[in-house]
Amino acid sequence: MTELTVAMPKGRIFEEAYKMLIEAGYNLPEEVEMSRKLIIEIPEEQIRFILAKPMDVPVYVEHGVADIGIAGKDVLLELQRNVHELLDLKISQCYIASAGLPNTKMNDIAPRIATKYPNIAMNYYKEMGEQVEIIELNGSIELAPMIGLADRIVDIVSTGRTLKENGLVEYERITDVSSRLIANPVSYRMKSARIQEIVSRLKKIVN
Amino acid sequence: MTTIKMFEKPIGMRDTFPATYEKMEAVQQTGRGFLRARGFEFVKTPTLEYYDTVGKASAIYDASLFKLVDSQGNTLVLRPDMTTPITRVATSKLLKEKIPLRLAYFANVFRAQQLEGGRPAEFDQMGIEIIGDQTVYADAEVIITAINLVQNYGIQSFKVTIGHAGILNCILNDYTEDDQQANKLRSLLVERNYVGFEEAVISFDLPKTKSDALLQFINEATNIESIEQIEKYVSKNDALLYMRQLAEIIHQADLSKYVSFDFTLSSHMNYYTGMLFELFAEGSGFPLGNGGRYDGLLHHFGSDVGATGFGIRVDRLLEILPTRPTTDKTVAVIFESTQYIQALQLANNLRNEGKLVTLQAKSGLVNVEAFTQVFDEVLYVSQEDQE
Repeated sequence: MTELTVAMPKGRIFEEAYKMLIEAGYNLPEEVEMSRKLIIEIPEEQIRFILAKPMDVPVYVEHGVADIGIAGKDVLLELQRNVHELLDLKISQCYIASAGLPNTKMNDIAPRIATKYPNIAMNYYKEMGEQVEIIELNGSIELAPMIGLADRIVDIVSTGRTLKENGLVEYERITDVSSRLIANPVSYRMKSARIQEIVSRLKKIVN
Repeated sequence: MTTIKMFEKPIGMRDTFPATYEKMEAVQQTGRGFLRARGFEFVKTPTLEYYDTVGKASAIYDASLFKLVDSQGNTLVLRPDMTTPITRVATSKLLKEKIPLRLAYFANVFRAQQLEGGRPAEFDQMGIEIIGDQTVYADAEVIITAINLVQNYGIQSFKVTIGHAGILNCILNDYTEDDQQANKLRSLLVERNYVGFEEAVISFDLPKTKSDALLQFINEATNIESIEQIEKYVSKNDALLYMRQLAEIIHQADLSKYVSFDFTLSSHMNYYTGMLFELFAEGSGFPLGNGGRYDGLLHHFGSDVGATGFGIRVDRLLEILPTRPTTDKTVAVIFESTQYIQALQLANNLRNEGKLVTLQAKSGLVNVEAFTQVFDEVLYVSQEDQE
């Protein structure tokens, strides 16, 4: 059996995806020590997990240092990496939306959009026939319309509570997001039997 | 924008140091010998081409082209691939002298990089083109040459994945309601977004037989061992017959074990109307090469004789191949200023024996010991030796 390197996002998605793999019959220890380790070896299954920042998973997979990985659709859309998108795991489901202060219109001359997804935001407004100026932020995006930095924000929404608590309303739903199983194009061919097996075993759990 | 430091190069540009240079030379020589033995003739084309001819026709995305302007105001490009320039030179000149043509190249191509490191903006490509032969044997020769070339480099673990643009188009058109849907699905396949493909099929609200067929297709068609498995999706047509013949020829050449079929394989360029393939090898995270039939590109240059070919990324080949120590013997001849003639004589004799001889004045060295360490053999020519 060839060894498979799997890039996983740290945190909640890791736990959910890990549970799915156990359910799919992979012989993994129930408890993983998640302290500060970045690599977890599972010799029984010839699997090696590497734990990365969610935004970095497609990068590891594209360069082929990880054969497969689990990445949010938001990250895939934002980074546009050259990876195969194999399966929708339907975990950590949420969506990307635009939001702003209630009853406001976007500035006519140079509407400003604050986001941590500059590419998604730019492409969305381009499709809408609107030229916007993107302001890239790294967190607490909700601040931007509240203090007058931007007309709209483009961000991940799961329950909508953060928006509400900060007096913002959702304007347009841009795209649905969930975690996807992705593969490196070379690994997809060279380790095709192993990867196809994971896909079909996980597919049964998803549906 | 920070100021450029003296040691910096433009993004993606790389230096080649001696060890890599020698490895690349060896790769080139092996490839050249191999391809010439199969009747391919090497050609070279200019580094700069017009944007309106080669630049626009090239399969490489516009954003990846290095563009500049000549003194007449024409936009030029640094060639982004070799297939397009060779098509230009073949259709305008070479095809008048010989048909079919078998051409080969080993050349650097340029693609601008916007992303981070890890990808070169200039790299060598090696490949072949067969122009003016529309038979299945030309396509088979291209695939078999690619496989044999990879084997010739001693690579054991590799795979070729073959698809057919015509068959894919047939399936996409048959099972969708209009061109817009078919194009949407095709662009998702170019991105290899199988999840998106399924989602799009469901969102089209097609009759159940059609959507079921497409969903089954996307599950099966990426990894097909034999052509029969695809036949249930397409009515009998020439493309299918063609692929069956191609598979048969590869089987006759006893190379089937390296080949699988993927009928979702698709290119963003509509020049690729027939067979297309990708080449993967263990040791690199990126495909080693690709190829296919590009009759459409030839048509764009005003000829309808058809063409097929492949190209290999030499940078990825170098990554895959182990570095072998050289068998060359290096000798340093260190001489004192008065002994130059004797030293020159000695050096020339050794060179005639095939050794790599460095002739170095002792007075030019700061640290003799450090300098001589890297040589296999060190000879000193000094006054005392002569007496």
